[in-house]
Amino acid sequence: MKRRTFMMSAAGAAAGMAILPRMSFAAEGVIDWYTSSDSNILDFWTNIVKPAFEAAHPGVTINLVDAGDGAGIIAISERAMAAKQTNTDPQADFFESADPLLPAGAIEAGIFVNIKEAGLSNYSKLNPAGIQSDYSLPYRGSQVLLAYDTTKLDPADAPKSWDDLVTWIKANPGQFVYNRPDKGGSGGNFVRRAIHQANGLDPSMFTVDNYTQEFGDETLGKAWELLKDIAPSLYDNGAYSSGNTQSIQLLSQGVVTMVPVWSDQVLQAIDQGVLPDTTGLVQLQDLALVGGFTRSVVLETGTNRDAALQLADFMLSEEIQSAILTELGGFPGVSWDHIDPELRERFADIVPQSIPTFPGGAWEAAINDGWYRNVAPNVDRNS
Amino acid sequence: MTELAEGEARPLIEKTGSRRPTGLLLVAVPVLLMAWLIIWPIFNAFARTVWRPDADGDYGFNLSSYVFFFSDQYSINNLTITLWTTGMCALLLLVICLPIAIYLRFSHGRLPAYVQALAIFPMFVPSIILAYAFIRVLGPNGMVDILLNSVGLPKIRTPYLTPWGPVIGLVWDNIPLTVLILLAGLGSVSNQAIEAARDVGARRLQVFWYIILPRISNSVLVAISFAVLGIFSSFTLPYLLGPASPEMMGPFMNRTFREVNDPLNAITQAVITFCFCIAFGLFYVRSVARNQGK
Repeated sequence: MKRRTFMMSAAGAAAGMAILPRMSFAAEGVIDWYTSSDSNILDFWTNIVKPAFEAAHPGVTINLVDAGDGAGIIAISERAMAAKQTNTDPQADFFESADPLLPAGAIEAGIFVNIKEAGLSNYSKLNPAGIQSDYSLPYRGSQVLLAYDTTKLDPADAPKSWDDLVTWIKANPGQFVYNRPDKGGSGGNFVRRAIHQANGLDPSMFTVDNYTQEFGDETLGKAWELLKDIAPSLYDNGAYSSGNTQSIQLLSQGVVTMVPVWSDQVLQAIDQGVLPDTTGLVQLQDLALVGGFTRSVVLETGTNRDAALQLADFMLSEEIQSAILTELGGFPGVSWDHIDPELRERFADIVPQSIPTFPGGAWEAAINDGWYRNVAPNVDRNS
Repeated sequence: MTELAEGEARPLIEKTGSRRPTGLLLVAVPVLLMAWLIIWPIFNAFARTVWRPDADGDYGFNLSSYVFFFSDQYSINNLTITLWTTGMCALLLLVICLPIAIYLRFSHGRLPAYVQALAIFPMFVPSIILAYAFIRVLGPNGMVDILLNSVGLPKIRTPYLTPWGPVIGLVWDNIPLTVLILLAGLGSVSNQAIEAARDVGARRLQVFWYIILPRISNSVLVAISFAVLGIFSSFTLPYLLGPASPEMMGPFMNRTFREVNDPLNAITQAVITFCFCIAFGLFYVRSVARNQGK
C-alpha cells in the first residue's frame, strides 16, 4: 500500500509539474527573435547576422526562434498585446518578418516601435518603394522571375511580356505550372501579376487600405478570367503545385519547361545543384512580376527594446545588405545607391529597375479566397 | 497477526461500498486534461458559431454560417471529396489489410515475420517524407515512369495532384494500424474452429465467410473507425499530394482560418467535420461497449 501511495503521489506531482505554466522571464541582453520565413533565412541569420552582430555588440546575444509561419508570429503578437495590458514581459523583442497591421489593433495597443521615429542612423537609406508602414522595416526583398529549361526553350525565344507568355503557354500546353497563391509567393505573385495585367498594368491602383467588396470583385474578377483562360494549357490540364519548392521540383524533374520562382530560392537551387546550370531566368519587361519586401518589426514592450533597435539598424548596414545579395540571393532593403558599385554591376541582370509590389491586408484574403473559388475549379481535368 | 486472523480474506476485487477512490483518482488527471483540452474547446467552438453578435453587436442565436456552408457549392464539393476519399481509403484498406492479416495469422516461419515487419514499416515513416517519396516514385517523370520508359512502355497517368494522390498516400500510411488491429482480432479465431469446419468439408471462402468473419467483425469495425477518423481530418498528405480544388476538409479549414482570415467559417467547418467524426466514433464506442458486455 505504501509503495502504491508513493507512486501515486509521485505521478501526481510529475503530472502537476508538467501542466503548470512554465515561468520564465526574458533575459536582459538576450534579444528574443522570431521569424516566419523559410529555413534559408534562418540559416542566413544563424551563420551570418548573429555572429556579426554579437561581435559588434559585446554583451548582447540573439536568441533565434522559428515561429513557423505568419500565423505563428501573429499569435506571439497577440500574446504581447495581452501582456501589455498587465504590464508583463512579452518575451519577444524582434520579429524578422511581420505585418504590423496584424493582428488588428496591435499598433493602437502600442506594442510595436515606430521605427521611422526611433532614430535609426541608417533609416534614410531605405528604398522608399519598400516602406509600407512607419512600424516596419523593409530590410530585404526578393522578386518573382520565370525560370525555364534552356534545353527546351531557346533563351532568345523566352517570353518578355505577359502576352508573349500567354501565347507561349497556349502553344506549349502542359509545360507551365504555378503554385496555389496562398501556398507560396511565387505562384501568389504570378497571380498578382495577372491582376496588374487585367487592370491596366498600374500597381498604384491597389493600396493597403483601398479594398472594398465592389472594387475587389471588379478588379479581381477580370484577373480570374485571364487565369481561367490559360488554365487548360497548364500542367496536367490545370493542376497547381502546392508550394514554391514543388514548382521547382517539377521543373527539375523535367516535367514542365517554365515556372515562376522566387529570385533567392532559384539562385540557391542552381547553386546547390537542385536545378541544372541550363536553367534560364527571365523577367517580364512590360511590367515585372511582383516582388516583395520582408519587413521586420521591433516590440515596444520588449525587455531588450533598445538592443533590438540596434539590431534593426545593423540590418541596414552595408555589411549585412551586401551579404543579403551575395549570401542569400535576395535584394537589399536599402536603395541601390547605398550598395557597393561592384556588387551593383554583378547583380545587374537579375535586379530590375523597379519592383512592383502588391498590398497585403484585406486584398490578400480576397485573392486567396477568390482564386480557389473561381480559378481552381472550373477545369475538367480529365478532358 | 490477530487482526488479520479475525478478518475474512480480502477479495481480489473489492465489492464493498467503502473502497477507496484510488482508481478514479488515477484516471482523474487524463480525464481532466481531456475535458480541458478537447471537450471544452468542442463546446466552445459550437457555442461560438451559433451564439454570436449580429451586425448591431447584439448576441443571439444565429445559424447563418451553417446555412452558408450547406448552400455554398464550393464547400459542399470539399465535403464530398473528403467523404469520397475516406470511403475509398476504408475500402482499399480492407481489401489490402485483411489478406495480409489472415496470412500473418495462419502461417509460420521466417517469411511471415518479414511480411509483418514490412506491413508495420509505414508507421515509422513521417507523412511528409512519404509525400516526397511518393512524388519521386509515382510523380511525373518519377521512378515508375523511368522504369516503364526503359522497357519501351508509355508513361503512367500520374496520380500526383489528383484526388487519387491522397488516397494512395493515406492508405499506405494507415496499413500498419489496420493490420495490427485485424491481427489482434484474428487471435480470437481458434485453430480448432477452422479445423472443424475443414473436417466437414468447408472450402476456403466458406471458412472465411462463416467462421473467420463473424469472429472478427468487431475488429474490422474498430480498425475501420480508427482509420476513418484519422483520414477524415488528415492534413499533410491531401495538402501535398491532392489537387488545388476540391480540397479535403483539413486543408480547407486550415486555409480558411489562416489564409482567408475567416475564423467563423473555419470553426463552422471544424464543427461539421467533428459531427462526421463523432458518427464514426460512435461506431467504435458501441462496438467496444458491446465487447465489454460479453
